Amino acid sequence: MEKNNKDMDNQKFLLEMKNISKEFPGVKALDNAKLQIKKGSVHALMGENGAGKSTLMKCLFGVYKKDSGIIKLNGQVIEFNTPKQALNNGVAMVHQELNQVSQMTVADNIWLGRYPNNLGVVSNSEYIEKTLQVFKELGLDIDPNVKMSKLSVSDRQMVEIAKAVSYDSKIVVLDEPTSSLASEEVKRLFVIIKKLKDAGCGIIYISHKMEEILEICDEVTVMRDGKWVATHSASDLTTDTIIKLMVGRELTNRYPDKTNKISQFNVLEVKNLTGKYPPCINDVNFELKKGEILGVSGLVGSRRTELLETIFGIATKSSGEIIINGKHVYNKTPRESIINGFALLTEERRKDGIFGGLDITFNSIISSLKKYTRFGIINNKKTINAAKWVIEKLNVKTPSSTAKIRNLSGGNQQKVILGRWLLNEPEVFLLDEPTRGIDVGAKFEIYQLIIDLASKGKGIIVVSSEMPELLGICDRILVMSNGRVAGIEPVTNLSQEKIMELSAKYI
Amino acid sequence: MKKIIFSVIFICTLLFASCGENGKMDETVPTLGVCFYKYDDTYISTVRQALEKEAEGKVKLLLNDGKGDQGTQNDQIDLLIEKNVDALLVNIVDIGAAQTIVDKAKSADVPIIFFNREPAEEVLKSYSKARFVGTNAKDAGIIQGQIIADTWKSDDYDKNNDGILQYVMLKGEPDNPEAVARTEWSIKTVNESGIKTQQLGLQVCNWDTELASRATEAWISKFGDEIEFVVANNDGMAQGAIAALQAAGYNKGDKEKFVSVVGVDATDAAKDLISKGYMTGTVLQDGQAMAMALYTIGVNAASGFDFIDGTDFEYDTTGVSVRIPYQAYNGEK
Amino acid sequence: MIKNKKLSQILLDYSLYIVLGILILIVIIKDPSFISLKNITNILSQASTRGILALGVAGLIVLQGTDLSAGRILGLTAIVSASLLQSTTYASRMYANLPQLPIIIPMLVAVIIGGIFGLINGFGVAKLKLHAFIVTLGTQLIAYGVSCIYIDRPPLGAQPIANLDDRYVRFVTGSLKFGAFEFPYLILYLAIVSVIMWFVWNKTVLGRNMFAIGGNPEAAAVSGVKLSTNIIIIFLISGILYGLAGFLEAGRVGSATSNSGINYELDAISACVVGGVSFSGGVGTIPGVLIGTVILQFINYGLNFIGVSPYLQYIIKGLIIILAVSIDVRKYIEKR
Repeated sequence: MEKNNKDMDNQKFLLEMKNISKEFPGVKALDNAKLQIKKGSVHALMGENGAGKSTLMKCLFGVYKKDSGIIKLNGQVIEFNTPKQALNNGVAMVHQELNQVSQMTVADNIWLGRYPNNLGVVSNSEYIEKTLQVFKELGLDIDPNVKMSKLSVSDRQMVEIAKAVSYDSKIVVLDEPTSSLASEEVKRLFVIIKKLKDAGCGIIYISHKMEEILEICDEVTVMRDGKWVATHSASDLTTDTIIKLMVGRELTNRYPDKTNKISQFNVLEVKNLTGKYPPCINDVNFELKKGEILGVSGLVGSRRTELLETIFGIATKSSGEIIINGKHVYNKTPRESIINGFALLTEERRKDGIFGGLDITFNSIISSLKKYTRFGIINNKKTINAAKWVIEKLNVKTPSSTAKIRNLSGGNQQKVILGRWLLNEPEVFLLDEPTRGIDVGAKFEIYQLIIDLASKGKGIIVVSSEMPELLGICDRILVMSNGRVAGIEPVTNLSQEKIMELSAKYI
Repeated sequence: MKKIIFSVIFICTLLFASCGENGKMDETVPTLGVCFYKYDDTYISTVRQALEKEAEGKVKLLLNDGKGDQGTQNDQIDLLIEKNVDALLVNIVDIGAAQTIVDKAKSADVPIIFFNREPAEEVLKSYSKARFVGTNAKDAGIIQGQIIADTWKSDDYDKNNDGILQYVMLKGEPDNPEAVARTEWSIKTVNESGIKTQQLGLQVCNWDTELASRATEAWISKFGDEIEFVVANNDGMAQGAIAALQAAGYNKGDKEKFVSVVGVDATDAAKDLISKGYMTGTVLQDGQAMAMALYTIGVNAASGFDFIDGTDFEYDTTGVSVRIPYQAYNGEK
Repeated sequence: MIKNKKLSQILLDYSLYIVLGILILIVIIKDPSFISLKNITNILSQASTRGILALGVAGLIVLQGTDLSAGRILGLTAIVSASLLQSTTYASRMYANLPQLPIIIPMLVAVIIGGIFGLINGFGVAKLKLHAFIVTLGTQLIAYGVSCIYIDRPPLGAQPIANLDDRYVRFVTGSLKFGAFEFPYLILYLAIVSVIMWFVWNKTVLGRNMFAIGGNPEAAAVSGVKLSTNIIIIFLISGILYGLAGFLEAGRVGSATSNSGINYELDAISACVVGGVSFSGGVGTIPGVLIGTVILQFINYGLNFIGVSPYLQYIIKGLIIILAVSIDVRKYIEKR
C-alpha cells in the first residue's frame, strides 16, 4: 500500500523539495520550506524579497548546502554540489542577471563548458548545427554566429532559455524573466514557456508581476519568512489573494492616494529634442508642470531610457531645447544637468546606481559632496547627519548608516539612491524603472515617495514597463514609439489596450 | 573622429620635423654608423657629444641608442649595414655578442671599430677590419688601487689599528667585464703594494646611486667605524655611498668621522665632492680623447685607409687595440 | 550621411593597418631608399622573438591578466640555452666537459624552464587568487635572481655566456635562400608559432574557454568551465613560448647575460594592446598581436632609418601607442 502511494507520488511530481531548512549565522533563511512541481506545468514561486525564494533555489542548485530536508527529482533523491552538476541532470536556471559572455557568439554561449570536440579541437559545424536545431524547436530566429552583445535583452534571454533546453532540462527555473521585457516580448516568452510545458518540462517561475503569473502559471506557491505558506491552483487565486498571502496582511490598495496637486506653471519644457547617435530619440516635445507625475511608456526599443539620457546629457543631442523653470539649459554632461536641477535614477541599479562595496553614508552624499566640505575637506559629522536624514526620511531598513549598501534589499537600495538625489534638491526627477526588482511592500513605499515629491512641487518623469504601475501613480502618460512621441494623454483617458495601441504607432 | 585625425596629423608633423638634417649633406662625405650601449650614461654621453662636435660638417654620423639591450643593438647594426655606412663604431652592450656583430660586419665587408667595452682578442682577430679603441678595463682598477694604497699609506686610515684595510665594495653589474675587472684589480693592486685587506661586504648595485646608498646605509649600521674604505666601480655609486655616510654623520668635514670613498669616471659631481674633501679620489676616463681617437680612426677606416694611418696612435701588444690611458684624479690638478 | 558613416566604420575597422601604412609612407617620403626587400625581412626577423613573446602575453591579457615576468623568464631561458650550446672549442665554457648536444635538447630545457615559471604564475592566479600583476611581479624577481645565481658561479664567475655553437647560431640566424633572396628562419619560426597559436585560440575548447573566462568569468563558471585548470594551462603555454623565445633570442644576439630580456615584457604588452587585445579581457586576435608587434618593430627600425634622435623616438613611440589604442578602442565604445 505504502509502496503504491510512493509510485503515485513519483508520477505526480517531477521535482519535490521537502522540509528544507537552511540557517545562516543569526538568520533562519529557510524553515521547513516545501515545493512540489508537476510534470508539464508552470509553477510560480512567490514571496516578498527576503522570503527565501532565491535561497531555496540555491539549495536546489548546490550553491548552498541545505541543513536538512530532501530533494527528489523523478522520485530519486538527489543532491547537487554545483550548478553544473544540476545542469547535467536536467535542472537549469535562467538568471535574472544574465550570465553571458557578451564578446562571444550566441552559439559559443550555449555550448560553453561542453563544446562538441575531438581531442580538444572544437567541431565548428557540429555545434552551430546543434544550436540551429534547438532554435528551430523553440521557433527562435537568432543567428548563432552573431556576437551576444549585438542581441537585444529579450533575445539574450531567449538564448539563455535555449541553453537550458539544449541541456535537455526537465526543470527550468526562470528568475524574474520579464523584468526587462516589454509586453510584446513577454508574449514571445510565454509562447516559448508553453512549448516547454507541452514538452513535459516543469517550470519554476519566479516573478513579482501578478498579472503575468495569473496568465501563465498553473500553480502558485507562496513563501514568507523562509516558510512555505500555501500552494494553490492559479485559477483559484486573484492578485489580492496572492498579495495577502505574501504580505501576511491585507493590502487594501496597491497604489497610494494621489495627493499631489498640479500647478499651472511648467517646471520643464522639452522642444524638438533629437539625439545624435542611433538608436536615438526623434523630435520629442512635451511639458511638465510643477507637481506633476508624467509616465513614459513604450515597448523595449522604443527609446524610453534614451529620452531620459538625452535630457540628462548622457546621450548626445543633435538639436532641440530644454527649458527648466523658464531658463534655457543645454545639459551637455550629467554634471551640468545636476547643477541645472535634474536628477536621474538609472535603470540598472546595480551597474549604474550604487557603489556596492561602500556604506550608506557614502552612497547618500556622493552627488552632493560639496555641501559637506570645507576647503575641500569632508566634514564627517555633517555627512553622517545627512545619511541619517536619508535613512529616516525614506524609511530605509538598515542596522546603521555604515552598513554596506549591497547588503540591503533592492527596495532599500533604491530608497538610498532616491535619498541621494533628494539631498541635491533637484527640480526635476527622471526615474527609470524605479521599482524594478523590488517587492510589493517596498514598491508601495516608493510610490508614496514619488507622490510626496510631486506634492512638494517637483516635476517627475517615470519610465516603466509595468503599465498598471504607470496608470496607478501618474497624472499623464507619454507613449514612445520607435523614438518618437506617439501620444501624451491624461491617465483618465487611457487603458492598457490604448497604451499598447499607441506603442505600435510608428513601427 | 576629429580629435583622432588631429592627433594623426600632429604625430606626422612631429615625425617630419624630428628627423635630422637628412640627405642635405654632400653624398661624398663618409658616413659613420655609431652604436652606443646606452645614451644616458654620463661618460658615454660625454664621448657622444665630443664626437658630434668633432664630426660636424665633415662626416655624417648615424647615432643609435642601444638602450642597454643587446637585442636592440643587433637590430640597429643590421639597419646601419642596410644603410650602407662606411664604417661602424660600436660601444657594445654585451661583449659576449661581439662575435655575432663582427660576423655581421664581415659579411657586409664594413670596417668595425669597437670602443669603450672590449671584446675578446680572438674575436677582433677573426676579421681583418675589426679594431678596438678604449681603455684597458683593468687599468681603471689598477689606478683606483693605487689611489687607495697611496691614501692608506699617506695617513692614518687604520681606524682599528689592526694593520688590515677593511673595505666594502660597490659593484656595477654581476657579469659586466668592466665591473669584474675593476672589482678584481683595485684590490689586487692594493694587495700587491703590500697592504693586507679584508672585504666586509660586496653588493651589486647596477651602477645605481640610490641602490649604492641603501647598501652603504646597511653596512654602516652593521659595521659602523669598522669600515675604512668604500670602493665603488663608478662615481655614481660612490656618490650614493657618500650620501649614506653623510646621513649617518660621516664625511662632513670632521676628520675623525671620515670614511675614504673612491670611484671611477671623474664625473662633475665626483669632482665637486673631491674638491670639498668628502671624497678621496676617482679615475678619469678621458671622454674628449676617446672621441678624438674614434673620429680619426673611424674616418680613416671609412675612407679606406689603414686605421691608424697618419695618426699618433699605436696598437698595443695585441696589434688590434688602441689604448686611451686612464688618469688618477684626486683634485690636485 | 549613411555613406559617410560606412567610411568611418571602415577607417576604424582597419585602423591598425592604416596607422602602419601612414608610418611606412612617412619613412619612404623621408628616405626613399627604405623600399627594399632586405629592410622588410630585417623588420620581420627582428619582430620574431618579440612576436613569440607577445603571443604568450596576449593570452594572459585576454584572461584579464598581464605578465611582468615575460622578459626575465626570456632572459633566464636565454642564459640556460646559451650555456648548453657554447662552442666546444671555446676555452672558458660554463660546462667545460659538456659534449656537443643536439640543438633540440637545450631548446627543450628552455621550454621546460619557461613552462615551470608559467605554471608558477598560473598557480598564483588560479589557486592563490592573486592578480596576475602581483604574481608576475614576484616571479620576475625570482627569475632574475635565478639568472644571476646561474651565471655567477665558480670557476668562471660572472661573465656573458658567449661563443655559441655554430650550429645553434645558424639554426637561429640562418635563412632559406631563393637565389638572391634570403628568407630568415626567424620569420619562419614566428609563422609556425603563430599558426599553432591561432589554432589553439580559435579551434580548441581551451581557446574558447580562454575567451569566455576573460569575457565573463562568472558566466564561464556557471557554464561549468573549470576556471583554474584553463587558466593554469594558458599560463603554461605562455611560459613555453617565453622559453622558446629565450632560446631563439640568445642565438640571435649571440650571447646572454643577466641583463638579457630586461623590459621585453613591456614591449610585448605594448604590442598586444596596440594589436587590439583589450585589457578588460575577452577580446583579441592572433593577427592583431602580430600586426601590433610589427608596428612597434617598424617604429624602432623606421625611426632609426630616417635618423630620428633616440630620445625623440621614445616620445613618438609613446604617442603612437596611445594613438593606436585610442583608435582601436573606438570599435568597442558605444557612441551615445
